[in-house]
Amino acid sequence: MEIPDTFYSKDEYVETASGNKVSRHTVLCGSQNIVLNGKVIVQSGAIIRGDLANVRAGRYCVIGKDSVIRPPYKQFSKGIAFFPMHIGDHVFIGEGAVVSAASIGSCVYIGKNAIIGRRCILKDCCVIEDGAVLPPETTVASYMRYTVKGTIEGAQGNPYFVPAAMQDEMINYTKSFYEHFVRTPAPAS
Amino acid sequence: MPSENRIKIFPKSVVCEESNLRGDITFSSGCVVHPSATVIADAGPIIIGENCIIEEYATIAHRLEPGASWDANNILSIGTHNVFEVGCNVEAARIGDKNVFESKCFVGRGVTVTSGCVVGAGIKMLTSQRLSENTIVYGEQALQREAIDKQGSQTLQIDFLRKVLPNYHHLRKPNYDPKKARSVV
Amino acid sequence: MSFMQPSPVKYACSCGILNPINKLFFCRHCPKLRCGYCVTHEIESHFCSNCLENIPSTEARHKKNCCANCFDCPCCQHTLSARATTVPVVRKSEESKDAKKPEDESGDSPAAASTPPTPASSKPSAVPTTKKMYYLSCLSCRWTSRDAGIPDQGVATGTWPDNECLYQARFNSLVEYFQAVVLQEKQEKMEFMRRKTPKQHKFPSLTDRTGLTVSLIRRQMGWNDKTIPKAKAVITPAEATAEVEELPADIFTEPLNLRNVTTIAQRHSQPADQPTAVSSLYPQRRTLWIKRSLRCRQCEHNLIKPEYHPTSIKYRIQLFASCHVPEVVMVRCEQSLASGKSNAILLKFTNPTMYDMTIRLLTTAPTEDAEPAAEGSRIKEEPVSSSPHLRAAGITLSRQNSTREVKREVTDVSNAEIVPLESEFVLSQRDDSKEFDEYVQLPTEEPKFIVWRKGNKVLIRLQFTPAEELPANTDVVLGFAMQYTYVNTVTNAPEKKEPTTHALYSRVFINAGATEQKAN
Repeated sequence: MEIPDTFYSKDEYVETASGNKVSRHTVLCGSQNIVLNGKVIVQSGAIIRGDLANVRAGRYCVIGKDSVIRPPYKQFSKGIAFFPMHIGDHVFIGEGAVVSAASIGSCVYIGKNAIIGRRCILKDCCVIEDGAVLPPETTVASYMRYTVKGTIEGAQGNPYFVPAAMQDEMINYTKSFYEHFVRTPAPAS
Repeated sequence: MPSENRIKIFPKSVVCEESNLRGDITFSSGCVVHPSATVIADAGPIIIGENCIIEEYATIAHRLEPGASWDANNILSIGTHNVFEVGCNVEAARIGDKNVFESKCFVGRGVTVTSGCVVGAGIKMLTSQRLSENTIVYGEQALQREAIDKQGSQTLQIDFLRKVLPNYHHLRKPNYDPKKARSVV
Repeated sequence: MSFMQPSPVKYACSCGILNPINKLFFCRHCPKLRCGYCVTHEIESHFCSNCLENIPSTEARHKKNCCANCFDCPCCQHTLSARATTVPVVRKSEESKDAKKPEDESGDSPAAASTPPTPASSKPSAVPTTKKMYYLSCLSCRWTSRDAGIPDQGVATGTWPDNECLYQARFNSLVEYFQAVVLQEKQEKMEFMRRKTPKQHKFPSLTDRTGLTVSLIRRQMGWNDKTIPKAKAVITPAEATAEVEELPADIFTEPLNLRNVTTIAQRHSQPADQPTAVSSLYPQRRTLWIKRSLRCRQCEHNLIKPEYHPTSIKYRIQLFASCHVPEVVMVRCEQSLASGKSNAILLKFTNPTMYDMTIRLLTTAPTEDAEPAAEGSRIKEEPVSSSPHLRAAGITLSRQNSTREVKREVTDVSNAEIVPLESEFVLSQRDDSKEFDEYVQLPTEEPKFIVWRKGNKVLIRLQFTPAEELPANTDVVLGFAMQYTYVNTVTNAPEKKEPTTHALYSRVFINAGATEQKAN
């Protein structure tokens, strides 16, 4: 199915020179520590905690409504440290997701209301189902699908869980999502 | 419900200005309240013990029963060293010490949480029950088990946040010092 | 409208099952669409999905398809992580009393363990030093290896003890015995086959130095062959007993604490002993995963062959249908759907190949000319697996037999009448550089049904009428056969060098949505 246009009002979103579209109704803490590599959409209600550690998102990422991007911490015997968080290219983060991963590869799909625990590692081309809960330090390998039931399914070459052409699909999907994320046309006066 | 908010913040606690606080709320010393956290004290005062962490989109609510009204004696008391992680929604009747409410969990109003409990991420607890000490609620089916010991305290994290958050956020000033005269507030 | 949702456009695979295009593969040699059910699945490589290490298949077999380093939580089946604690060690001195420290360590909380209480320095010789110790901990349900009473280990990986159950020795001897039985049967069978094959020469050649002559002579003399080792039955058969242990006396008096009883899932994850008490749950080695390669059953060419390495996302062979077959995307219907009311649907066609395509939409599938029956029917001999031990273990790594393709009629589920397009149309080749070019609309004469054309994409308008008798709230399904020209760059015949052009067709079904209530 063709992705329908998502309209936003001119007042709500800020567009940067590199094509990032960031809602004004977001909480970007420590914005000097947040790098969006271009054509990234940050929708309303999203929170990115750049104050805790650096957050870097690759090109053509979508950070959905009311999602929270929060660098993970680890406790040591002498104190704690927050780790920087890297998000690859063509990553879709669904509405209301809570993401505390240590790293997210490219072409990753994170469903609505998914919870990615601290220091999880999501490799390239994996899928997190809507509402799935990843406990801390979970590794999801490429072409794996983390289900709502808490199981991991798939693997490369298994055609039933993650599309074999996941890379192409995510590239197409995030690109067309960006192309269909358009300003509301001015009312004809 | 009192006409205006009465927020008491003890020294050494960090309460971001971008948090939503409503009603009569007391933050004991060492508490950390992240931006976009919500504390609602509709039915009566909320007293939050020392060294609690309330993260983004977490909601602690002391809601009115249908037909009830504000009662200054109906206090929701929350113990010390509790962690309310991102997006949790806690309306528990009573909360002890050293509990962890993980991301996006929901704890209904009939639930009594004792001490050392963990409510796992995404778990909804609606029925009235009492979680005995060290109960872990985990997994997709919200199974319960008993841990052999309490969860480690988060003092190290609080130390870090107390150092870092003032650099990036506007904070609500501590306005209550127990050492000083009682007439401050 | 995410791509995770089921696609309304489905293609009929050559086996007759409807699939969205992203689940289909395209065999260039046949050339036909293939789905996951009509290809053979082969193991490409083993790996652990947690530590992402590639494990060779021999090692995987030796390790019983489990990872050597990673453990699953016996309580919630999530991965365990190793945690470090610092433990005070009282250095042994001449007059040191019995070291009592390591004993009570297991009961300590992690917080207390990380900030060890300084032991009362009674003697100057007992210098308190700390040592790193590791325990396994589940970050989902907070189970720790201390719950099972496993002592903390000095290194994080490799030293965790395995849970040997009571029957392990018997089980091993049973496995050994039956492996020998299988081996023996196999050898007997081979011997039998060899005896049955007609001999080329009447007399065994003297140059044959394989010992065949000896065994022949032995057999002629009526002695039995001694080359075949007889499986020794060293196992004692199990005996049934009527004596059962008494139930513990307190079972009726003690209140049952359900938290101490294991769940079915927990018991099944530990099949050897299936404990009933949570205290006997034991960390389980994490099972390995495989990368698969898919092979066409007809021509035995690979359709999918992934790279070996677990972290690589590339393929050595990738024949996705979406890279060879024109993709049909449903954009929208012009009006709300009602039975018997003529309507139009907008469809976007995309050409993924480097050659222009001519597409024709047919309302009925062209009748396939009778296929040469020999094509699919040759049944190959069972491929002999490389290692007899492998066969003995019951694992077949070799591919499944090529079987005769089961032709299933494509069930025609369409319930709408399509107005055929007046002509065929051309889809231009894909050109990635065009994306960056300024697009200029060339004023060309286009058939009326084409709404727009951009690079390798064409949007067409297809008129249709949902069937008259459709009740409200039923999905309207459009079905048509899409005939397209496909330029094949590989050829089965080696003498032809230039690519050949085929006219292929695939049946496409589009779920246009549900019909409206009659009221409006």
